[in-house]
Amino acid sequence: MGLDLNWGLAINALPLLLEGMKLTIIIAVVGLFFGFFLGAAAGLARTSKNKILSGIATIYVEAIRGTPILVQALYLYFGVNQVLIYALGWKIESVPAGILAIAINSGAYISEIVRGAIQSIEKGQVEAGRSLGLSSFKTFYYIVWPQAFKRMIPSLGNQFIISLKDTSLFAFIAVGELVRQGQIAIAVTFAAFEIYTVIAALYLLMTLPISIVLRHIERRLDVN
Amino acid sequence: MIITVENLHKKFGSLEVLRGISCKVKEREVVCMIGPSGSGKSTFLRCLNLLESITSGKVIVNGHDLADPKTDINKVRAELGMVFQQFNLFPHMTVLQNVTMAPIKVLGTPKRKAAEKALQLLDKVGLGDKADVYPSKLSGGQMQRVAIARALAMNPKIMLFDEPTSALDPELVGEVLAVMQDLAREGMTMMVVTHEMGFAREVADRVIFIDQGVIVEEDTPANIFSNPRHKRTRTFLGKIIKGDGVQGQSG
Ligand SMILES: Nc1ncnc2c1ncn2[C@@H]1O[C@H](COP(=O)(O)OP(=O)(O)O)[C@@H](O)[C@H]1O
Ligand SMILES: [Mg+2]
Repeated sequence: MGLDLNWGLAINALPLLLEGMKLTIIIAVVGLFFGFFLGAAAGLARTSKNKILSGIATIYVEAIRGTPILVQALYLYFGVNQVLIYALGWKIESVPAGILAIAINSGAYISEIVRGAIQSIEKGQVEAGRSLGLSSFKTFYYIVWPQAFKRMIPSLGNQFIISLKDTSLFAFIAVGELVRQGQIAIAVTFAAFEIYTVIAALYLLMTLPISIVLRHIERRLDVN
Repeated sequence: MIITVENLHKKFGSLEVLRGISCKVKEREVVCMIGPSGSGKSTFLRCLNLLESITSGKVIVNGHDLADPKTDINKVRAELGMVFQQFNLFPHMTVLQNVTMAPIKVLGTPKRKAAEKALQLLDKVGLGDKADVYPSKLSGGQMQRVAIARALAMNPKIMLFDEPTSALDPELVGEVLAVMQDLAREGMTMMVVTHEMGFAREVADRVIFIDQGVIVEEDTPANIFSNPRHKRTRTFLGKIIKGDGVQGQSG
């Protein structure tokens, strides 16, 4: 009984895999979209002088960074849903749960990116703005944020890649993303080597372009 | 009096940096402040536009009582121009945008009008051709001149300068001092912290010597430089003249 690779099986599975890939992208993009706002809010809260605000944000960030995203997703989909069903007779479906998990998880990391970038802006920038008569909000909006955002771009891109790969764990909460679709195909065909090869290649197909674009942006930012 | 300061104290925690400063500045007057590093010159200047809060004392600037919590800080600041040692230009904006931003966002000046005025000011500081350039492409002297134009764009009543030439290569100091001298000649009220003794001698109406948070001596430049009354002033001036005084003379 020799090793009998059959790439035809992987090609047959391709439509199924591409469907999963589409879901992977949707969950990553939508999750990160919300994660960015959550992260920006938490990052700002952490730079705030208000102790309660910064305390809440710190707890959020530490709780999320200190637990695996798989546990967060399982907690949400099985744990929280159990309570929701009991209390409201209603539950979060698997895809929204995945989006929520990415948003909450990436938000914690993005908040650190946002905080670091804001704190990296020289104090003199704020003083120049304030001394011209700009309110603290206008100083932040027109002077600090645009400069900070530029500095965030490389790290945000990096987080995008991490979160995109993290969606693979949502196979555990019944999300029909790329890995899950692959597992279904393998259960039928037993072509594990071929199909996992294709899956890995598809992940690279998604992440490599992001890496390349990022490197270009970084180089352009360096020039300015 | 456009500035009246009475018994101003400033503490950072338990460190008392200003220990009872009183002084008055008339409209159109140019006052230079000299003194050793750490003596509180920057802190004093920053109290005048509330970049530092006032611990105690009375500060009236252009009719506004700065110790009164009801005073609109942004309004006071809009009437005061400040120029920093490190320029603090906004790196993500062109030179023109640096100069037009505050008039547009604070005073609500229409964009076109703000740009016209900005170009005039840039011409005045000799940088009319740099309007569309980003600050990173400028020399230190050019950056500081843009910073001056940026402050002037708000039509300030008073200009505060905190060691405006200290971060510059020696050959770039003159171009900035020349702009400041023009400004003084036009009648701008100016408070200038500087180590450029040549500038102080030539342009200032009055020189204030600050040491350890108090005004030790104030007088006309002629008197203070040729005939200082206090030993501390003499010691300080002796050090400065030996150090970079020669360059100061030429500035
Ligand atoms: N934000 C601050 N917090 C604590 N100490 C400060 C702060 N700003 C200035 N100081 C201290 O106040 C003193 C006077 O500083 P400064 O006004 O900058 O002096 P100068 O401009 O004359 O060199 C220094 O000892 C400095 O360390
Ligand atoms: Mg200083």
